[in-house]
Amino acid sequence: MSVTYIDAIREAQEKLLREDSRVFLYGQDIATFGGAFKATKGLADQFPDRVFDAPISEDAMIGMAVGAAIEGMRPIVEMQFADFSSLAFNQIVNQAATHFYRTGVPIPITVRLPSGGTPGSGPFHSQSMEGIYAQYPGLVVLTPATVSDAYHMLIDGVALDDPVIFCEHKFLYRWLKAKSINGDHLPIGQARIIRPGKHATVVAYSAMVHEAVRAAERLQQDGWEIEVVDLRSVKPLDVDTILASVARTGRLLALGEAFPWGGVTAEVVSRVTEEGFHLLDAPPQRLNARDTPVPYHPKLWAAHRPTPESICEALRKLLTF
Amino acid sequence: MPTVPILMPQLGESIAEATVIRLGIAVGDFVRTDQEIIEVETNKAVMGVTTLCDGVVSELRAQEGISYSVGTLLGLLNVTDAEVARTGVESLESIEAKRSASSHSQSPNQAEANLHFALDDDAYEEAPAVVPSVKGLPVPTGVMGAHYISPRMRARMDDLGIREADISAIAGTGAGGRVTVEDLERFLDYLDTWPSSAASPMRLAVADAMRRSWTRPLATVGLPVLLDPALDHRRNQSPRPGLTLYLLRAFALALTETPTTAGYLIGDKVVHPRSFDIGVAVQVEDGVVVPVVRKVDQKSLTDLISEYDDLVDRARRRRLTEQDCSGGIATVTNFGTFGLTTGTPIPLPNETLILGIGAGVKKPVWSAQVEAFLPATVADLLLTFDHRVVDGGGAGFLLNRVSALLQKPENL
Repeated sequence: MSVTYIDAIREAQEKLLREDSRVFLYGQDIATFGGAFKATKGLADQFPDRVFDAPISEDAMIGMAVGAAIEGMRPIVEMQFADFSSLAFNQIVNQAATHFYRTGVPIPITVRLPSGGTPGSGPFHSQSMEGIYAQYPGLVVLTPATVSDAYHMLIDGVALDDPVIFCEHKFLYRWLKAKSINGDHLPIGQARIIRPGKHATVVAYSAMVHEAVRAAERLQQDGWEIEVVDLRSVKPLDVDTILASVARTGRLLALGEAFPWGGVTAEVVSRVTEEGFHLLDAPPQRLNARDTPVPYHPKLWAAHRPTPESICEALRKLLTF
Repeated sequence: MPTVPILMPQLGESIAEATVIRLGIAVGDFVRTDQEIIEVETNKAVMGVTTLCDGVVSELRAQEGISYSVGTLLGLLNVTDAEVARTGVESLESIEAKRSASSHSQSPNQAEANLHFALDDDAYEEAPAVVPSVKGLPVPTGVMGAHYISPRMRARMDDLGIREADISAIAGTGAGGRVTVEDLERFLDYLDTWPSSAASPMRLAVADAMRRSWTRPLATVGLPVLLDPALDHRRNQSPRPGLTLYLLRAFALALTETPTTAGYLIGDKVVHPRSFDIGVAVQVEDGVVVPVVRKVDQKSLTDLISEYDDLVDRARRRRLTEQDCSGGIATVTNFGTFGLTTGTPIPLPNETLILGIGAGVKKPVWSAQVEAFLPATVADLLLTFDHRVVDGGGAGFLLNRVSALLQKPENL
């Protein structure tokens, strides 16, 4: 019996509903239908008064959740796709993110964003929005890469009093399996060294962690030992763990699936350059998706996002600088 | 009929590619086993590409003057089945057959392929690692990065107070021959097994000045100079000026004629001398100091004696101030006092010129007047200059003027 990434998200929500009466779920088709990706399958039957279908208005969904949070509830809102959260942007960044700063009343909402690309999903169903939300003070942005992290980080995220943007990767939903949810439970804000190495550091998060590990396995055949750091949460960013890794390796590749302009990888490179310039043996590098909308065609899509091949190529250049 | 490839062979260790300099065959030619058919050139030698079997050239892809990496298909031979069997060469057809067989066996099941991230995992071919090369010649290791010091390496060197010149002994093992922090640590561990002592502040000051000066293109020129007129003149003076003072005064007067020769190049500007203040190198314990004699062009030899003696005396007692040693435009050094006859002095980092003189030696010198060799005291007069500012012509003019002025010491 194995647990997939989406099972972990479903089980975390079930546990939250069971143990905390302030928690409720809100989203389009999440009740009777069980959600577009079945992340809430069966939960409406178990908790009929706390799992609701929402109208097709992302703006209204977050607005309602913010109001409920002010009244002491801990809502979890499912966006059908991360891409559509742009319709709720005002409620998230202007209302939820600033509310505690303005009034002293916290907004403990969790917004689940099914993020990232899968073959054939195209421009409206593939986006990675973490960099945009991380820009705003007041938001916590989580990007779990493992089954156990998906479970523990969702539970820990709901426990936070700040609004949480929970970026779950759609590709990992069913592809990623674990024997069980393990107890290796790091606090939010702490990165994990997924694979130790000494020649270069790859800082990645979400699905790109798995691509980085595959690239590292290939390079190992040539004698290169690549350290892979899984950020887990992009905000707060665990700069200490990144710098400690770069101190060991002297070389950095920041890897992400989002568009290349600005974003999480730029932030990682910028922090390392500012605080750890003296640790570097080579200019820190970034590898992101390309600067175009996400293509439909699976082959174009594979060329658009970083792959083990393009990661290996970037790493070889970095290693021989 | 099977086709056999003609490949660029591995021509030696560390050779990644070679340039075709002559094609000895044409399409349709019959070639024999081990026949040299293509002449190629690497950085090491000219070599021949030979055939593996008898056959007829069916295609030629190589062109003269072009570089091909090892393993590149240069052409094709049509070979009989019997010949393939006799020599055991692999035909293109059998290579193809093997390749398609192996790709079938690796084909992943369809369900997994759909889920898999990289859709074209097997289609991707990693580019072969080719040594950087220019026209077929590998770039020597180290050209790219031996002198590159990474921020990490720089930080470690700063920690240890180590300069670039200090690490020249280390053969780097990093990318492109670069010296890494690990190389440095290994080298330091090795040096720990040797006896050592702390360098004095004076030693470090000289080291720093010489290291900074040496970053410039310095050149040294010299000529023999007759010392007898100056030595004779000196004998009749009271108090007696030192030989160095004669040189100092002659140098200052010569420089007034071409002051830009002592100019200092900074960016796109030459800074001219403000005053003919000239330094004198004085050997002290574990180092050299250079006090500066002011306005040498405006003072007579006799006037200069007390100022000069005071500076040298204070230099030896280590009582010079910062002021005493600053503002010079050039330096004079008399290494003849150590019994040396020649040398290549190095100017101070903030100066363009240094004039040196070796020990006087008795030599026969031809006299046109009496048509015979007469004994004379001759010394080497040497001028080191920053070649960015001065050329051989300017340096030669200056040296000849100094030499001429020394022949008429009564005018100094």
